[in-house]
Amino acid sequence: MTQILLDMLVTGLPLVPVFLGIYTVFRLRADFDLTVEGSFVLGGAVCALTLVHGWPSWLALLAGTAGAAAAGGVTALIHLLLRVPVLLAGLVMSIGLFSVNLHVLDTPTLSLGTVGTLFSGFGSLSGRQADLATSGVMAGVVAAVLVAFGLFLRTELGLALRATGVNARMARSQGVNDRRLTVLALVLANGLAGLGASLAVQYQGYADVNMGGGTFVAGVGAVLLGELFVRPSGSKLVRIVGCVLVGTLAYRLVLVTALRVGLPAGDLRGVTALTLLVAIAAERYLGALGGLTRMLARNARSATTPARQEAA
Amino acid sequence: MLRLADIDLIYNAGRVDEVVALRNLSVTFERGQFVTVVGTNGAGKSSLIQTISGAARPTRGRIHLDDRDVTRLPDHRRAGWIARVFDDPRAGTAPELSIEDNLALAMARGRSRGLRFAVTARRRAVMREHVAGLGLGLENRLADRVGLLSAGQRQSLTMVMAALSAPSVLLLDEYLAALDPETTATVLALTTELVRELGATTVMITHNMDHALALGDRLLVMSRGRVIADYDGTEKSEMTVSGLIDRITGAGDALSDRSALIEQGARPRPRPGSARRRSHRTGSDWSGARGAIRSPDGSRR
Ligand SMILES: Nc1ncnc2c1ncn2[C@@H]1O[C@H](COP(=O)(O)OP(=O)(O)OP(=O)(O)O)[C@@H](O)[C@H]1O
Ligand SMILES: [Mg+2]
Repeated sequence: MTQILLDMLVTGLPLVPVFLGIYTVFRLRADFDLTVEGSFVLGGAVCALTLVHGWPSWLALLAGTAGAAAAGGVTALIHLLLRVPVLLAGLVMSIGLFSVNLHVLDTPTLSLGTVGTLFSGFGSLSGRQADLATSGVMAGVVAAVLVAFGLFLRTELGLALRATGVNARMARSQGVNDRRLTVLALVLANGLAGLGASLAVQYQGYADVNMGGGTFVAGVGAVLLGELFVRPSGSKLVRIVGCVLVGTLAYRLVLVTALRVGLPAGDLRGVTALTLLVAIAAERYLGALGGLTRMLARNARSATTPARQEAA
Repeated sequence: MLRLADIDLIYNAGRVDEVVALRNLSVTFERGQFVTVVGTNGAGKSSLIQTISGAARPTRGRIHLDDRDVTRLPDHRRAGWIARVFDDPRAGTAPELSIEDNLALAMARGRSRGLRFAVTARRRAVMREHVAGLGLGLENRLADRVGLLSAGQRQSLTMVMAALSAPSVLLLDEYLAALDPETTATVLALTTELVRELGATTVMITHNMDHALALGDRLLVMSRGRVIADYDGTEKSEMTVSGLIDRITGAGDALSDRSALIEQGARPRPRPGSARRRSHRTGSDWSGARGAIRSPDGSRR
C-alpha cells in the first residue's frame, strides 16, 4: 500500500504542473490545446539535452520549461496570424513537434547516463527512502508552482485571463486585450508542461520521443476527476489548484493500482480512457462527489446539533 | 465630443449576403449630451453602438473622440473612455467570477494590467461603497458568483462597472429590455443619476417610446442605416408617442412588435402633431435644449 502511494507521488507529482497547464487552457480559457502532446516531449528533450551537455540540473529544468513555452508561443502565433482555431493550431504543432523532438534528441531515446540530476543525490538510499526523498523534492517544486500560479491568478493579469475564458466580449469591453492573453495562456500552459516533463525526465533518467502520447486526454481526465472532489469555479482559486492536485494524484493512483494488480503496461491507455469515461459518467449521473460529501456533512451536523442542545 | 463622419458599415462586403448596416452616417454628440435612439429592428442602432465602441470597424469614415482619431483602435483600447452596457444581462458580466472580481476587472479599465493584486482591501472598500449605492445589499455578497444574481441585479452591477472608471462616453443598447417594470424603474433611476454624476456623453437605444421621449436632451430616429430625424430637447418635449411612431413608420419600415406593444399602452399627450421635425444634417445650434449645459455645435455640417 505504501509502495502504491509512493509510486503515485513519484510518477504523479511531475504531472501536476502539466495538468495545471491543461486546466488553464481547458477550463480557464474554455479551449483545447493539443500542443501539449508535443511540447511535453520537447520540454523533456531540451532538459535531457542540456543535462547531457553538462548544465546544472535546475538550469536544465528551466531550459525545458522555456523550450516548451516557446512551442506554445508558436501555436498562439499560428492561431492569431492564420486565424485558425487553437484546436487546429495545436494539432498541427503536436504533429510537427514530433520531428522537431527527434532532431533535438537525435535518437528516439536519449539516456542521461550518469549525469547529475535533481535526484542523483538519492542513489545511495534504499528504494523506499529514495522514493521518499524524490517525492519530497518534487513536492517542493510542485508546491512552489501551485502557489505561484494561484497568486498569479489573483493579479490583474490573472483575473483578465480568467475573464476572457468566461466572457470574452465582456472582457474586451472592459479593456482586456484577449489576443495577448491567448498568447500568455498558451505560453504559460506549455511552459508548465515542459516543467513537468523536465521533472519526469530527471527522475526516470531518459527522454523518449514518444513520452507525450495521450498527455492531453490524461490531463482532461484528471481535471474532470478532480472536479468531482473539489468544485472549482472562476473565483475560487484555492479550489482550482486543489482540483488539479487532487485530480492528478487520483488519476495516477488508478494507473499505479492497475499496474500493481498486474495489468500489462500496454493496457494503461485503456485504463486512462476508462477513467475519463467514469469521471464524465459520475459527473453526469451522481452529481459532484464533493456535493455529496458536503451534504452528508451538513446532515451529520444537523443531526448532532439537537443532541448537543438536549445535553445542554 | 464624439464625432462620427461619413460612416459606412457593411457586413460581409462583396458577398451575396452583404448587409449595409450603416450608410454614410455623420453625427456629432456634444460632451455630456444624453441622446436616445429609436428605430425599427435592423435600422442599424446596434451597429451604431458597435461602431462607437470599436467592436465593429467601419468600412468607411472616421470616428473622433475629443481630438483623438479612434477609428483604428479596437474596442479594448477604447474601453478606458467608452463604457458599454449590453442588452443581454448575461453579456456584461462574467457569471463564473465573483462580484468583486467583476468589479476589479472594471476598475483596471483603461490602465495596463500587471502583476498587482486585482482585489485588495482598499479596492474592496471602494467597491463596497459603489455597490452599496444600489441598495440591493450586494455590498455584503462581494464574494458571491455573479451567476447567482437576477437579471436586474446583474444589469445594475454592469451599470456600476461601467461607471467605475469614469468614462467619457456611455453606451446603453436596449439594456432594460430583459427587466420587469419595477426593476426597469430602479435601473433607470440609477442610470440618470450616474449620467448626471459622470457628465458622460450617453447614447441610449430603446424600443420604449416613453423612455425615448422622457429621457435625455436629444432624440435620433434611425432607419436603414441612416439617421432620418434628429430632435433637440425642446422639440422632443413637444413630441408625442404617436407622433414619434408616425415618424418611424413614415420611413416605410414596419414597426417592430415591441414598439407596437408600447404603442398600445401609450397615452395620447397634449398638443398632438405639434412636434416639428428636422431632417438630419441641417445645420443649426442646439442651445434650446432643456437643461443643457453644452455649447452650440459648430462642428455640424
Ligand atoms: N454580425 C453581423 N453580420 C451580418 N449582418 C449583421 C450583423 N450584425 C448586424 N447585421 C445586420 O445589420 C443590420 C443592422 O442591424 P442592427 O443590429 O444594427 O439593427 P438594430 O437597429 O440594432 O435592430 P434591433 O432593434 O433588432 O436591435 C441588420 O440588417 C442586421 O441583419
Ligand atoms: Mg440592436
